[in-house]
Amino acid sequence: MNFRDELVTGLAGLRTCDADPQRVERIRVRCLAALEAQRRRERSRRPRLADWPRRLELSAVLGLSALYLAVAITSSLALLR
Amino acid sequence: MSRSRRSRVVTVMEREIKLGLVARIKTGDSAAFEIVYEAFRACLFSFLVRLSRRRDVAEDLLEETWLRFVARARDLSADTCLAAWLYTVARNQHASWCRNRALHEERISDLTPSWPALAPGETPFEAASRTETERRLERALACLTLRDREVLLLVAVEDLTPSEAASSLGLTPEALRKRLQRARERLAIEMAEEEAPPQAKAG
Repeated sequence: MNFRDELVTGLAGLRTCDADPQRVERIRVRCLAALEAQRRRERSRRPRLADWPRRLELSAVLGLSALYLAVAITSSLALLR
Repeated sequence: MSRSRRSRVVTVMEREIKLGLVARIKTGDSAAFEIVYEAFRACLFSFLVRLSRRRDVAEDLLEETWLRFVARARDLSADTCLAAWLYTVARNQHASWCRNRALHEERISDLTPSWPALAPGETPFEAASRTETERRLERALACLTLRDREVLLLVAVEDLTPSEAASSLGLTPEALRKRLQRARERLAIEMAEEEAPPQAKAG
């Protein structure tokens, strides 16, 4: 093994170190809070997205009712003439 | 954490990634975040502390990196390599820190480094158990320029593949190879100077 290989092996063997435990915990708490906030936003957005079949049904009912009413009025007017 | 333990963690991570860890993170799964945080926290901090040579700065950058990770989690692509992604963000955070202070590489080198130093919580026995070679390597690494240091840290210390490291540094694989070669040579020179007796250095 030449000197350069030894260097690379030495670099690979350098040990890791960690941040201050309080800081580690603070980062964890902040990240989990951010994730929770994202999930809450997602949940609050979801009902609006899930609402579309009901809205479509309501629009169809209103449209058909209006059409029925228009036909009924037209028929009544035709009878009166 | 020893190198072998880190390798085991990375192996576990790779398996987890295959099982859809990225997909879980995209949905905001806290448990998935905890796995990634535990696996990469110390490695990222070590990278940042060696890059910036200051523990206080490294802790700030570590926090920013993780907050950025959480903020962007939903937008990760399904085939994201978490290690490369995290090291890229960490490196960018460091670059941003340097820019914000309008510090050029030469001026950063003038700052009094707080690394390598006795780690907090490290007992004198633990400090003494660190090999002399390790201490010399740390000192030699700290003497290198930022460009040399970051390429060595990513490839040789953090064990990123050359393609991942090239992507993190925004280089082509060929440019990375050349930069790595130069960095190794400069590290070897620094190590040789570390080995030289004080009289030889003075002469």
